[in-house]
Amino acid sequence: MKKVVEGSHAVSEAVRLARVDVISAYPITPQTHIVELLSEYCSDGTLNARFLRVESEHSAMAALIGAASAGVRTFTATSSQGLALMHELLHWAAGARLPIVMAEVNRALAPGWNIWTEQTDSLAQRDTGWIQLYCEDAQEALDTTLQAFRLAETVHLPVMVVLDAFFLSHTYEPVDIPEPEEADRFLPPFQPAFCLDTENPAAFNQLAPPNAYMEMRRSMQDAMESALDVLDAIEDDYERLFGRRYGAVEAVHCDDADIILVTSGTITSTSRLVLRQLREKGEKVGLVKMKAFRPFPFEALRIHTAHAKKLAVIDRNFSFGAGGIFAQEIRSALCNLARRPLVFGYVAGLGGRDVTTDVIEDIYWRTKTSAHPEAESIWIGLHQPAPAA
Amino acid sequence: MTQQAISQTVSPPLIPRSSTTTESNKTGSWRFLKPRYDEKTAPCSAACPAGEDIARVEMLVAQGLFKEAWETILQENPFPAVCGRVCFHPCERACNRGEFDDPIAIHTLERFVADTAMRYDLQADIARRPVQGPRIAVVGSGPSGLAAAYFLARLGYTCDVFESMGEPGGVLRWGIPPYRLPVHVLEWEIDRIRSLGVEIHCNHRVSADFLRQARDRYQAVFIGCGHHRNVDLGIPGEDLDGVAEGLPFLEQVRAGNLPDLSGRVAVLGGGNTAVDVSRCALRLGAKPVIVYRRRRQDMPAFEHEIAMALEEGVELMELWTPLEITPHPDGYRLVLQRMAVASQEGPRAQVRPAAGQTQELVVSKVFKAIGNAPEESWMQPPEGDARTLRLANTALVELHGGPLVVYGGDLAALEKSVTHAVASGKEAAMALDTYCQQGWDAVESRISQCRVGPGPSLSMEMYLGGDRCRRNPHVVVFQEINTDYFLYAPRLAQPRLLKEERVRDFSEIDLKISAALAIREAERCFNCGVCNQCDNCRLFCPDLAVCRDDNPQGRRIDYDYCKGCGVCVVECPRNAMALE
Repeated sequence: MKKVVEGSHAVSEAVRLARVDVISAYPITPQTHIVELLSEYCSDGTLNARFLRVESEHSAMAALIGAASAGVRTFTATSSQGLALMHELLHWAAGARLPIVMAEVNRALAPGWNIWTEQTDSLAQRDTGWIQLYCEDAQEALDTTLQAFRLAETVHLPVMVVLDAFFLSHTYEPVDIPEPEEADRFLPPFQPAFCLDTENPAAFNQLAPPNAYMEMRRSMQDAMESALDVLDAIEDDYERLFGRRYGAVEAVHCDDADIILVTSGTITSTSRLVLRQLREKGEKVGLVKMKAFRPFPFEALRIHTAHAKKLAVIDRNFSFGAGGIFAQEIRSALCNLARRPLVFGYVAGLGGRDVTTDVIEDIYWRTKTSAHPEAESIWIGLHQPAPAA
Repeated sequence: MTQQAISQTVSPPLIPRSSTTTESNKTGSWRFLKPRYDEKTAPCSAACPAGEDIARVEMLVAQGLFKEAWETILQENPFPAVCGRVCFHPCERACNRGEFDDPIAIHTLERFVADTAMRYDLQADIARRPVQGPRIAVVGSGPSGLAAAYFLARLGYTCDVFESMGEPGGVLRWGIPPYRLPVHVLEWEIDRIRSLGVEIHCNHRVSADFLRQARDRYQAVFIGCGHHRNVDLGIPGEDLDGVAEGLPFLEQVRAGNLPDLSGRVAVLGGGNTAVDVSRCALRLGAKPVIVYRRRRQDMPAFEHEIAMALEEGVELMELWTPLEITPHPDGYRLVLQRMAVASQEGPRAQVRPAAGQTQELVVSKVFKAIGNAPEESWMQPPEGDARTLRLANTALVELHGGPLVVYGGDLAALEKSVTHAVASGKEAAMALDTYCQQGWDAVESRISQCRVGPGPSLSMEMYLGGDRCRRNPHVVVFQEINTDYFLYAPRLAQPRLLKEERVRDFSEIDLKISAALAIREAERCFNCGVCNQCDNCRLFCPDLAVCRDDNPQGRRIDYDYCKGCGVCVVECPRNAMALE
């Protein structure tokens, strides 16, 4: 059934449909609406789950680690400082191979205080062993959240579903919300591969000395490497039931493109408009939307971009002393190819600054008219200092 | 490929997991600090002259174990129903909760516990030695004499109590008005003391010869006959007919012989007797005025009694002293001298006459209540060469050719209060028992082993080798309480008759409280230093090294696995553990 809902609530609806058992969260803007609706669902009986109010995000994740270890389906949501506070336990959740699903609403980190969108918070967690899937709109947020439970429970890794603050989290859009029976057909009850069991007592996650640790890390990497194939298969099922699929990478008009824009999150939607306008003018431009960041979709990226002359990667994030994080990863993905495009790294929209069609078009023309990138990262839209009197 | 097929290609997760026991890893070997249960002394119990185990009493009340709470008080004090009414409760001033919000209403809870026992006519099960000891004579059946007899009876002695009046109780019966202590309450307590085999011989006035004759029949004599001789003012007119003494007036009221009073009545003095006399006079129709030579804050009477007296309509003239009393057509004319504060040194201000300032006061009656002294000289510890040992609340004297004599109660106590009298009786019982068993030289050290905290308070439970002996004498201070575990909660207000109701007759002013209110108030108690079985230590132990056990503590620490992290000690809300 189609309903106009807020992006946050699209996630909440997916969690309801997933029949999650334990939710533990601490409120933080711009995530709060997600767990707010879920707490109402828990209190009015719409969702038969235990909602744990905790005193910090660190405890929120700790509680879910406990619950997931006991073999139940778990969910939380956070943003920015909250995610940063969880950091230690993100490693633990992944290393303990617990299929926790988290909605992470991208928000810039302080100081200065900023509640608006930026991806640096989630990208800073790239090495924790969490799968990261970036969403473009409310429908995708709902679909991805529902899929995330199946993905996590299949590969035994936690999944972070990532949304832009406000542009997605607080925007109302028409969303097709599956009926509970349909969702049940897609997502069966959680069957844990292992869990705490008093009938079969065991100690979990104790000491792993040097002769054991490395294999465990390799096992996580194996799971990561299988995750894209698993996601693809899950999307097959999902498409059969609901008629929608997204892919770890989506390519638009890439086959004949000389220049390909590479985006993630809501900038993708704006870029689709620019792409149409430029195509109408006869420009040979394409678009690659990066949905999966972890695992990194090397193969799909190479297939869709290898023949292009230039890539214009738009990063709403930054790694100080290096550059835009997507751009870095894309460069490294392509560097061993004999024939590869030039990678232009653009940094735009930090701290929620608007990335308009004009900004994206400017990026396109800069890319087209430059023989080489003028810098490792090109900052777009910086205010010029006032000229000296 | 279908997802099912794909899933088969995903390798099972490799995680650290072991089905063998971790008990082989004796983490106790990592320990360099060691936690242990270490119950300590609550400040209230150290401040209680009778050394009552208040923290434990409140714990038992909070658990609804009212009989056990009552018996816990009876270990240390034979008069919980009396003291729950008349004690000046120094415990509440010492209460650590006072630094958090308000002290526990210990006084009200003591009375509740005793009244509950009275209501259900409970029989106490109290530790007691078999009767075998020699006979002891007790002179006076006031609070110190009866307490001495009670504790001596529990220690196995046979006691004969000699009382000059027709009924036992001393000041409790004759000196404290019924609106503070109804007589049936006193009788219930005295009956329990009698049930231990204590014989009370009323109408039996003891003379100086008694001490000489006692040696044949008694191993020792306890003298606790109080102060009955009134102190004179030393001013002209104080012997006029109708200028009455305070204590006999109170006795008269107690006997039910109620005189009609009217108009202004002067009460001279500032102690509890003066306040009681004025409040009784008020109830008999007079308009009393207390004339006191110092200021209100210098009055030896209990402040809450003064406050209630003023509330009821008693007038207080501070810094006035009578110079003479003369007859007047309307009764008596008092000439009063204005006093001025000369110095603030000492517990009470020193005053001197303010030159030239006098006034006259015409009253229908005058009561003198300026203090009392022992009636006869033999009632005081002799000066001179008799072997004497002065303890906190008693004096032991080995008379030549006579029995051991112990002077107690008002004759020897630190302060004149009912609870100090109880403390005196207890100290006397311990001293006598030690003297009989181990001799004179053992008395002081044996008694000092039974101290509750650093002060003079003594515990009979400790003397008898009970669980309290294990307590650390350290008195818990507020900073040692983990206040994270306590919420602000209002203190129980003692319900009372309205002041309009109070002055109509001699009905008891303080009303009873319900069990629900008592439990709620007792739950406010920090139980400083005393384990109330909250089980935090066991719940917080990250190594499951705190185990339930059948020992009196209820749990033990398994040092094979305790790493000495100290979480249990930190999370103990009441400092009943130690880390060393």
